[in-house]
Amino acid sequence: MSESEMQRTGTEAPNYDDRYDAIVVGAGLAGSSAALTLARQGYDPLIIERGPSPGTKNVFGGVLYTPRIRELTDFEDAPKERYVAKKTYSMLSEEGDETSMSIAPSSWREEPHNDSWMVLRRDFDEWFAEQAVEEGATLVTETTVTDLIEENEEVVGVRTDRPDGEIRAPIVVLAEGANSLVSEGAGLKQQDSRDNVAVSVKEVRKYDRDTIEDRFHLDGQAGLAAHYFGDGAVGDAVGGGFLYTNKRTVSIGVVYSIEDAAHSDKTPDEVLEEFKQHPAVAPLVRGGRMLEYSAHAIPEGGPDSMPELVHDGAVIVGDAAGLVLNSGIHLEGTNMAVESGYHAGQAISDALENGRTDAAALASYETELRNSYVVQNLDHYGWFMDTAAAEQEFLFDDLPRALGQAGEEYFKMDDTPKEEHVSEAKQRILTATGGWFGAAKKAWKFRKMLS
Amino acid sequence: MPDEWNIVVCVKQVPDADDVSIDPETGRLNRSDAAAVLNAPDYNAVEAALELREAVGGTVTALSMGPPTAEAVLRVAVGMGADDGVLLSDPAFGGSDTWPTSLALARAADELDADVVIAGEESTDSSTGQVPPGIAAHNGWAQLTYVEGLEPAPGEDRLIAKRDVEGGYERVAADLPVVVAMGFGENKPRPAGLHRKIYAETDFEPETWTAEDLGVEDEVGLSVSPTQVGGMDTADPVPREQEVVEETDELAEQIAEVL
Amino acid sequence: MPGGDSGVDVEQYDDVWVFVEQHDGEVAGVAWELLTKGRDLADQREEDLVALVMGEDLDETSIPEECIARGADRVLVADDPVFEPYRSDPYGEQFRYLVEERKPAIALIGGTHTGRDFAGRVAVPNHAGLTADCTELEMENGRYEMRRPAFGGDALATIICPDHRPQMSTVRPGVFPTAEPDDDREGEVIEVEVVVQEEETMTEVLEREVGDVADITDAEVVVAGGIGVEGDFEPLWDLAEVLGGTVAGTRDAVEEGWIEPARQVGQTGKTVRPDLYIAAGISGAIQHLEGMDDSETVIAINTDPNAPIFDNADYGIVADLHEVIPELIAYFSEDRQEVPA
Repeated sequence: MSESEMQRTGTEAPNYDDRYDAIVVGAGLAGSSAALTLARQGYDPLIIERGPSPGTKNVFGGVLYTPRIRELTDFEDAPKERYVAKKTYSMLSEEGDETSMSIAPSSWREEPHNDSWMVLRRDFDEWFAEQAVEEGATLVTETTVTDLIEENEEVVGVRTDRPDGEIRAPIVVLAEGANSLVSEGAGLKQQDSRDNVAVSVKEVRKYDRDTIEDRFHLDGQAGLAAHYFGDGAVGDAVGGGFLYTNKRTVSIGVVYSIEDAAHSDKTPDEVLEEFKQHPAVAPLVRGGRMLEYSAHAIPEGGPDSMPELVHDGAVIVGDAAGLVLNSGIHLEGTNMAVESGYHAGQAISDALENGRTDAAALASYETELRNSYVVQNLDHYGWFMDTAAAEQEFLFDDLPRALGQAGEEYFKMDDTPKEEHVSEAKQRILTATGGWFGAAKKAWKFRKMLS
Repeated sequence: MPDEWNIVVCVKQVPDADDVSIDPETGRLNRSDAAAVLNAPDYNAVEAALELREAVGGTVTALSMGPPTAEAVLRVAVGMGADDGVLLSDPAFGGSDTWPTSLALARAADELDADVVIAGEESTDSSTGQVPPGIAAHNGWAQLTYVEGLEPAPGEDRLIAKRDVEGGYERVAADLPVVVAMGFGENKPRPAGLHRKIYAETDFEPETWTAEDLGVEDEVGLSVSPTQVGGMDTADPVPREQEVVEETDELAEQIAEVL
Repeated sequence: MPGGDSGVDVEQYDDVWVFVEQHDGEVAGVAWELLTKGRDLADQREEDLVALVMGEDLDETSIPEECIARGADRVLVADDPVFEPYRSDPYGEQFRYLVEERKPAIALIGGTHTGRDFAGRVAVPNHAGLTADCTELEMENGRYEMRRPAFGGDALATIICPDHRPQMSTVRPGVFPTAEPDDDREGEVIEVEVVVQEEETMTEVLEREVGDVADITDAEVVVAGGIGVEGDFEPLWDLAEVLGGTVAGTRDAVEEGWIEPARQVGQTGKTVRPDLYIAAGISGAIQHLEGMDDSETVIAINTDPNAPIFDNADYGIVADLHEVIPELIAYFSEDRQEVPA
């Protein structure tokens, strides 16, 4: 190299092309899981993260489902907040009604607490990535991967936003999350249609431990995961609200389809404000101090909108692969991210062992994934988002109102005999569902939810 | 002095000035959880050092005094392009105020045969700005502070700086060796190249020198520091009305009352 | 070098010294502030207040006499072409020599680009304690205590210098008030030996361009703008004019180039204590508050209801300064009787 080049770069001009076995794009849950798995197998992954540390660019509602994480790490050492001791589901109507159901099985209070923990991503992701680094992965932060480098239609490396920013490696793991610009840019997946993506806005409010324990009837490490539906939650949109209790903070937010967000006359932060003001929610978020305010995209497309997961020289994992489950009752993305990272890591190890980097050699990733609960759950619930969109008015408007009114009627304290109240209540629900016949049709439609 | 210059850039690890949380008990700002980062003005110092090397030729060595974890800031400097890094680390340095701190750095700069020492204008944690003049004074070298820009004059063995002074500027030429305090924000620090950054964070190993290596073991630490902290009080906030009004007219009335 | 680890015999050191910064016959305002404070300290200590001036042809100015009028008992004058214009090495060397010879107990230097430049060249060879940016200086039970902000301003650290002399402090302009000069005061002007030779200097001033510097520390009314101003300070200038005050701003405003550095209020800028401080588009970060929280009345204008400035203001409005300021200008421009109720 020329003298002036030496002066520019310092007396050393290092080059790390093909010194790493794989480049992992993103140090979120999927990326770190893949890197940890590769490192354990004796390979040298390089994780490239755009934030100043892992987790700073990640947003989620609040619950991490941990079966695979417990296998991959010493989970007791991980930074966590509260385990889910109780789950509630509430229907909210615009008029201020609330009808809710709450589940708190005693078994959840014992290890492993149903493998459901509320965590703070900034702390957890950083710890999880550290586990990968301790096994031998290399982590570079504050660097954004902008493109893939392809040669003869095989992915051979990535381009970043730094000077001298291209680096090559046999395999690239795309774990870039919901805003999968690199995968889309390289033509490895289509941009999610507006219908398939949800927008989530979340606030984290600070209280002290005593307030949280008193207000939510918790103790020790027990926590509450609350979900809300109906037009009292997010108005006309398909989606809902959530509230999770951490040690000293509460996460409260809304999730709903970007398509609905685009057509609404309310901005997402306005939707969140209204949700917070619903009589069922307001007392729970009274006082305290807002610590954080964030927004993120969540892919929701289900199994049909999953891109091609395996390519020559690259695999796609986590949110970038559309591995998010939003069935209305189950909201999961984090555990599937970890699971997909694990299977990807295993498949890559096998391929590299045989000196191969082509899609066929990496195919076991997809096979394992489809055999695991991940894709099976998605298949099972994939219909939900389509059905929900079609039955939007019923599910999110009529039914909550009817339930609210029915509840009111059922529990009305006055001189009228009980039977009359019950009969009134039934009538209201029947009106909403379109009579007995209509109710039966709907029950059939939604039967899968209960299977 | 040869035409190529040995440039030493002093860097310091400090708590991130922007990374504060609110203590739940007191409601005050809590800096103890802040991430440890490179002192922001030092980025401008490193950039100035690299530009000087581009103009004159020579080497840039990053120098820092701190606990072992402070090697992280040497890596940042090397990532940006510094050739090497030296960490002065020793429990003996603990409790040092600016007098012994600048002494240790001065001895190290001398050891490194520095022609130019560049430091940030001040640190965001103690903000005394006294280490660069201290280094110059300990070594009997020239100094240039509040520097907006540098013009090397290697033929004359001098460095010319544009200094920011109240009401304007001046251009001052200093004989080598010279200590420079670079003004905060006066240049655009370059991002580290990808491969250089990987090198700095993996294969690069800084040298560590102790107080004994420098021959200053009796001249550093708390006992040698002329100043000591005699007490720490939380600053009482000034009592304020804290009234928020709806209309500008009401505001105007309050203003009128004062005038 | 003098002053080993264990310190010096402090009994040998007395008097309070103040460095009187001057350039081309113009004295920096902070020097008068420090003479006022120095006088107070000297009185408490029952010692003398000594002013130190360096420059060229100082006998053609009234500076030494003014130092006496402002409280000095003695004025040490070092007069030589080597001291004009200012350079760190001759000033440092001359002051260092005088300190070594005459042994002051305390030395105060203005925290300007000059003071903070050469103070270290005096402190280091003398192994003196140097505390920068002091906001309070007190004698407490016979001990000299210097207070300065710590932890970015959340706390006030008390710094002492028990075993080393002199105890040196730099103080930023505007922190201490200035007393009126008293022309009846008497004192001594002493021309001291100049120990610096031009051949020994290590620096050369090639060029110096200095214009009038704004001094915001005297104003009774200050209209300050921060990042919320978004570039156009015109309305603030107009409001300042109508209210009879001056314009200032935050570090952000200076870094953006919207106002000159001399108008920066804050930890790394000036300290002001006007009767009225209007903070427009300023969030209220601690570093800024430090420079103005001694103001009599504080008014805040900001679109963010959660901005910390509101807790630190007497009256505030959550609104856009681009709307509020023109309304205030209108209010104060008209004849009061014509303003509708």
